[in-house]
Amino acid sequence: MDQSVAIQETLVEGEYCVIAVQGVLCKGDSRQSRLLGLVRYRLENDAQEHALFLYTHRRMAITGDDVSLDQIVPLSKDFMLEEVSPDGELYILGSDVTVQLNTAELKLVFQLPFGSHTRTFLQEVARACPGFDPETRDPEFEWLSRHTCAEPDAESPKPREWNSDPGTRSGFAPIGGSRHQSRNARRGLEDVLPRGPGYILLWGGAAEEPEFLLAEEMHEGGPVRGRRPLAGRRDEALEEADWEMSAGGGSRERDCAGVSNVDSSRPNGRGPDQPSGARCPEKPENSLTRQNKSKSDMSEKVRSATVTVSDKAHILSVQKFGLRDTIVRSHLVQKEENYTYIQNFRFFVGTYNVNGQSPKECLRPWLSHSALAPDVYCVGFQELDLSKEAFFFHDTPKEEEWFKAVSESLHPDAKYAKVKFVRLVGIMLLLYVKQEHAAYISEVEAETVGTGIMGRMGNKGGVAIRFQLHNTSICVVNSHLAAHTEEYERRNQDYRDICSRMQFPQVDPSQPPLTINKHDVILWLGDLNYRIEELDVGKVKKLVEEKAFQTLYAHDQLKIQVAARTIFDGFTEGEITFQPTYKYDTGSDDWDTSEKCRAPAWCDRILWKGKNITQLSYQSHMALKTSDHKPVSSVFDIGVRVVNEELYRKTLEEIVRSLDKMENANIPSVTLSKREFCFENVKYMQLQTESFTIHNSQVPCQFEFINKPDEESYCKQWLTARPSKGFLLPDSHVEIELELFVNKSTATKLNSGKDTIEDILVLHLERGKDYFLSVSGNYLPSCFGSPIHTLCYMREPILDLPLKTVSDLTLMSVQTADDRSQLENPMEIPKELWMMVDYLYRNAVQQEDLFQQPGLRPEFDHIRDCLDTGMIDQLCANNHSVAEALLLFLESLPEPVICYSAYHSCLECSGNYAASKQIILTLPSFHKNVFNYLMAFLQELLKNSANNHLDENILASIFGSLLLRNPARHQKLDMAEKKKAQEFIHQFLC
Amino acid sequence: AYAYLFKYIIIGDTGVGKSCLLLQFTDKRFQPVHDLTIGVEFGARMITIDGKQIKLQIWDTAGQESFRSITRSYYRGAAGALLVYDITRRDTFNHLTTWLEDARQHSNSNMVIMLIGNKSDLESRREVKKEEGEAFAREHGLIFMETSAKTASNVEEAFINTAKEIYEKIQEGVFDINNEANGIKIGPQHAATNASHGSNQGGQQAGGGCC
Repeated sequence: MDQSVAIQETLVEGEYCVIAVQGVLCKGDSRQSRLLGLVRYRLENDAQEHALFLYTHRRMAITGDDVSLDQIVPLSKDFMLEEVSPDGELYILGSDVTVQLNTAELKLVFQLPFGSHTRTFLQEVARACPGFDPETRDPEFEWLSRHTCAEPDAESPKPREWNSDPGTRSGFAPIGGSRHQSRNARRGLEDVLPRGPGYILLWGGAAEEPEFLLAEEMHEGGPVRGRRPLAGRRDEALEEADWEMSAGGGSRERDCAGVSNVDSSRPNGRGPDQPSGARCPEKPENSLTRQNKSKSDMSEKVRSATVTVSDKAHILSVQKFGLRDTIVRSHLVQKEENYTYIQNFRFFVGTYNVNGQSPKECLRPWLSHSALAPDVYCVGFQELDLSKEAFFFHDTPKEEEWFKAVSESLHPDAKYAKVKFVRLVGIMLLLYVKQEHAAYISEVEAETVGTGIMGRMGNKGGVAIRFQLHNTSICVVNSHLAAHTEEYERRNQDYRDICSRMQFPQVDPSQPPLTINKHDVILWLGDLNYRIEELDVGKVKKLVEEKAFQTLYAHDQLKIQVAARTIFDGFTEGEITFQPTYKYDTGSDDWDTSEKCRAPAWCDRILWKGKNITQLSYQSHMALKTSDHKPVSSVFDIGVRVVNEELYRKTLEEIVRSLDKMENANIPSVTLSKREFCFENVKYMQLQTESFTIHNSQVPCQFEFINKPDEESYCKQWLTARPSKGFLLPDSHVEIELELFVNKSTATKLNSGKDTIEDILVLHLERGKDYFLSVSGNYLPSCFGSPIHTLCYMREPILDLPLKTVSDLTLMSVQTADDRSQLENPMEIPKELWMMVDYLYRNAVQQEDLFQQPGLRPEFDHIRDCLDTGMIDQLCANNHSVAEALLLFLESLPEPVICYSAYHSCLECSGNYAASKQIILTLPSFHKNVFNYLMAFLQELLKNSANNHLDENILASIFGSLLLRNPARHQKLDMAEKKKAQEFIHQFLC
Repeated sequence: AYAYLFKYIIIGDTGVGKSCLLLQFTDKRFQPVHDLTIGVEFGARMITIDGKQIKLQIWDTAGQESFRSITRSYYRGAAGALLVYDITRRDTFNHLTTWLEDARQHSNSNMVIMLIGNKSDLESRREVKKEEGEAFAREHGLIFMETSAKTASNVEEAFINTAKEIYEKIQEGVFDINNEANGIKIGPQHAATNASHGSNQGGQQAGGGCC
């Protein structure tokens, strides 16, 4: 039922109620029904503003008289309405949707009925929110000043004019009729609570304790950890306020009266479960009792359209949405047969056209005629009220009268809970279940289809309730089809219209609505109005008298139409063994004696469709004489799919496991063609490459070599992986090259054994495994990267020495080396240096552009090997290559020729030759020797400058930056430093 | 979809059956020939404790000594550890002290450690008595169980009992569940509410969120 119509009636021009939903305002333990209407207002500039109008209401709101504006919450930029989940609770599908409304000023919590309507409502509200785009103008909400609702809090920090302006208030027609709590009554409440809690007053002080409000809701039903004492007091104050309000407000709190209909409908005096005097239900101890409470509240409320049920079958009680849960759900549906069994439930189905009468007699003969109490009651009425009021205003006192009559006549051996009620003008359907089954009812929806005047009005048509009992979906339809003997085609059309237009929203709004046919079990009852044709009245009455029902039945229009398969395809009707139920003189069992003198007909029928349904009885009830029809009843045993908890758990576990398996299979995983890499006989500045392939499996993956803990890069300095990260599509592969290259910055440690060719690389797959790659190998020590003094002590070629000796000599300090007493026979200068210089002296003094032409790469390897193996006689290389090797040698010295410690003094006295010479004298002897040796060589070169084109400046600039190196090891010397270093060397070349 | 996520590590000498235990637990199968784990692998499984869905994320580490310096770094942020030895190889039992010290040193102090004597199906080749395992566990305050990844005996129990122990510690407030370094993550179920409140963006709010 669209309650926005009622709200619309309270609005003024320019305002439009987009959508309305009935919800429950939760505050502490109190629950109050509210209508929430999303109202749109179109401004002159065509812009729109929205506000949420909250109404108190009586029953299900049909007209503006049924609602009373309680407060308005403008959809300002700080407005937020979000769904929250009850803390720690399993999400129960079909349970209410809890939403929280936040603005800067207040925080409210509502429970909205589960279903697509609520979804749509939330979506509409979301769409209506102004958003947080700073560009858009903040809505001003001037139009809201026309409305008054609860008084603003005088102390409110931000009074708003549409609440507080008394001028506009007087001009406003009061909303709600005299039956409602007057505004004065509410004022009274405010007197009691001057700083009214936020849910009563729009701009009240609720914002002071927003966290509390939230926490309160979140912990609903469970012990609240750490609840603040202040909050507790507030809570009590609130409860008191509710008390006060109910007392003053009279009928307003109808919903809250706690005696369940179940109890009041027990005429045989079975004691009620709950204290009957309680106006409000007990504080809930847990969520379960809360649900029970809601149910009893509801049963009292005749017109309530909401229903709260827990789905204990919990096939769908998976936790809140998410892909995984959706998959679990669909698997559970597929495997239903594995964990359910069929259990018979006894259904009572009754139909009664009451001809606009009020109940005048007990309905027990109809409703409780069988010995066993049914599990489910589906009771349908037609022509409940024939008055114009009922037709036009959809409002009838008969509804409550008949509801009460039915409730009082249900089988005395059981307690029943009302599940759902639906009415379209005179067509009403009531659904009750035994109380113990209530917890297994879920996904209850009710819809109506009018097929009357203009094919839409509700004087004819159908109403239906669909629900899930355990795991079986059931749809009950009550229809009143077109009248008159000759109009069977119209009745057929009505039937088809009901079938096509009756649509129930689904739990999952992305799913198309359910139709009647999409149910496991369909029970169709009603005044179908099919008559007996081709026989005159007298003949019919005679056949009835003879109880020749079969003969008569052959002329039954419904039977004929069903046989022709024009309607009720797949439906079954039990054999009719009772006389026609229409038309009698009211108050008697006599056939119609009016002037129209209608022929008797089986207007009132019950049909079914579905598996595992057994009809136990199909009969009319002559004892009831209120109407010109006789009521009809049928009792069925219906096999319902019930969940076997044990098997369900097993099935669920299997599904979860298969999903885990899937998840594990979806962890990115690759295969590596090689995981161990050995680099043998690595030489200085000789690139070695090993490659391997990463083959990806089925999951796209991102790979990367990652740093090991406490390391700054993913591998040692002498190693590089190319590429070191990347992305792999399923079934693709990539080749990774591991490049090993030892240069001057890594050679010394490798010579000394402080470092070895050993490393572990961690290849990491994002969201996936890590692979360890081992790198091993050995390094061949070289004179390159060895200190001057170390080389001076190596009389043998470095590669002829045991590694231990190389290591020891490399680690020996310059000071130790200078103390010649400890070691024997060092050379004055490194023999490798001598070899290179000697070679150049012999071959290259005339060489043009010496030191300025690059060498040949392969020749460097040859020169290095000759130096390291001592095979100097085999040295045969381009002069430029040897010259370059000499420069590389000087560059690779871990301590430059002019020691780091002397660097700054050298720069300082550059230009002062005497001082410069003095500094050279202070160098460790090997370094001094090397320096002097080199200078002598360079001077020799300069003697041949006519041929080799070298001059002091060129040599000074080349050797300056090699012999003098900044201890800070900056790669780039700044120009001034460079110049000074050059100058320093220059002095020694003249 | 889960209430909590617990991170586990499985440690112990190479060849004691760490990967097989993981495979048995996550996939219910046994692979007699298994590549040596050279690196870190993991698997996940959803279990239910006290009606709460708990996701176990289990990291299976390489057992080789040479990788120890790296595998250590994976201990951090684990809520539970399965320390595994092979009942048919005494050396794997003898190394437990080193493993335990390593684990205690590199993980958070509340980490629940379950000692597992694996390969209980190979009774004839047993070198370590069950009592010895029990005694070691007692001495070091561990939970103990003998398992067989081959026959699946006690495998479920080992993982689930560890989870129960962690869960109890959470209930007792021992773990700071908001610190992910403890190897516990609160599931989206719990966190969603908090998270969505954080994003105070006015316009965009619930209504969606449903699949």
